[in-house]
Amino acid sequence: MGRRRVGKAFGEMLRMVWARPVTVKYPFEPAKVAGRFRGKLDIDPAKCTGCGVCKNSCPAGVIEMVKIGTRKVGDREIENRRPVFDLYTCISCGQCVDDCRFGALKLTGDFELAVFDKESLVMKKALKIVE
Amino acid sequence: MSEEQDRELRKTGAGLMEYSPEGIMPFGPVHPSLKEPEYFSLLLEGEKIVDVQARIGYVHRGIERAGQDNTWIKNIYLFERVCGICSFAHSIAYSQAVEALSGFVVPKRGRYIRTIIAELERIHSHLLWLGLVGHWTGFDTLFMWIWKDRERVLDLIEAITGNRVHKSYSTLGGVRRDLPDGIAESMKKEMEFIQKRVDYYSELVRTEQTIVVRTRGVGRLSQDAARRLCPVGPLLRSTGISRDVRVEDPYAAYDEIVPEVKTSNEGDIASLLKLRLDEVADSCRMILEAMAKLPEGGYKIAFPRVVPRGDSVFHVEAPRGELFYFVRSAGSIKPSRVKIRTPTMANILAATEMLKGHTLADVPVVLTGMDPCFGCMDRLSVVEAGSGREWMMNGEQLRTFGIEYYSGKG
Repeated sequence: MGRRRVGKAFGEMLRMVWARPVTVKYPFEPAKVAGRFRGKLDIDPAKCTGCGVCKNSCPAGVIEMVKIGTRKVGDREIENRRPVFDLYTCISCGQCVDDCRFGALKLTGDFELAVFDKESLVMKKALKIVE
Repeated sequence: MSEEQDRELRKTGAGLMEYSPEGIMPFGPVHPSLKEPEYFSLLLEGEKIVDVQARIGYVHRGIERAGQDNTWIKNIYLFERVCGICSFAHSIAYSQAVEALSGFVVPKRGRYIRTIIAELERIHSHLLWLGLVGHWTGFDTLFMWIWKDRERVLDLIEAITGNRVHKSYSTLGGVRRDLPDGIAESMKKEMEFIQKRVDYYSELVRTEQTIVVRTRGVGRLSQDAARRLCPVGPLLRSTGISRDVRVEDPYAAYDEIVPEVKTSNEGDIASLLKLRLDEVADSCRMILEAMAKLPEGGYKIAFPRVVPRGDSVFHVEAPRGELFYFVRSAGSIKPSRVKIRTPTMANILAATEMLKGHTLADVPVVLTGMDPCFGCMDRLSVVEAGSGREWMMNGEQLRTFGIEYYSGKG
């Protein structure tokens, strides 16, 4: 009885045959991401002051403050610290970007985070600036 | 099975596994790729399902406990990861529970934006479910078409929030960013497109025999059973009981953008299909209405790190039904207790009721019908009542079995 009505979706099927392919040839062509896409984190070492707010705000515990030297304030020695990011565990939520009042952090559109070596995702860019 | 045998079985009280002569079967229920593995033991008489026992709790990840070690703001990103489909429902339920504790009022624009994203999420969740019903009934073409259309909603979500799944968009005191420029036009275009497609799919699932044969009269839940077992969301509404948190206890901007609560009286999978498609159409209308009424002004307020002492309960209508959050603060920078009740938890007993009286071939469709966050079907053990024989079928075998069983019956 039902057999007579099986071709209900036939018209749609024909339309789909002539429609543009949906598949993206991603590895061979660059994939597009939205403007607000939250990808790999990046830091501008010149703007970072080492305040450590990003470390306190990170829900995934990605950020570690590392001592890079000392500076003298009055007659006291104060440690200079800079953040080191373990991007392997980063969840790209962007809370550190929101909380950084110096605008040193930003999330880029880079999403290709598959690596052979976990260490290669540890970002130590901020350590290079020594005051 | 005779009446007497049935009574004997029930007298033992301990359930099906002990009734099996082979005793309790060791069973590895956790599948690493699945979010919510659940275990159903089916007692069969021939191929008819006589009784069902569900066992849950295999992926107890300790999220509620982990929440006690995180600060209030960090917890948004944690609780969002309870569910990969309705993540925004979790984040607004938690945020609003905390906002209610501290007494801060979110700006109107922020509440409107929350409503828009919550409804976009409902559309994508319902379309995902509809595609899965297509898949489990052997109508994979429908699955492909619907998931193709769903991509457009996900692209829209990505354009607004920056991510397709874990949106990380709601924050304490509002939303994290304003809507991007020029989103109104693309939103209008996409919503009109979705509405057109929903009309087409409504007609298709009503008349296409591939779907009708597998869904009409299958997985029927009576209103009495619904009252007894207390399911939530579309499953409850499909039995004719009109319950919707968005209407009964409006949150975000639902007091101004009023949803139309859809119900149906059949209580089977076919009526669930229609119901969810109607809800998608209604969500499209609500999004367009919210975009038209979108007020100017701020979208978030500064929120303090410390939340005052007290208890707070908040519930929202997630795509699958009522999602419930209990938050307790001891007046510090961390919550002292958070309790979550997800909709699938409430629906699981109703799903076991829906399975009774149907055949083994209907199991995938019925279990998908309750929208169980994927995981339920991949692990099933089957107990044959006569011989006590017990064997296992995985999701794919069961799907093939269902399609073969029904081929030639359409």
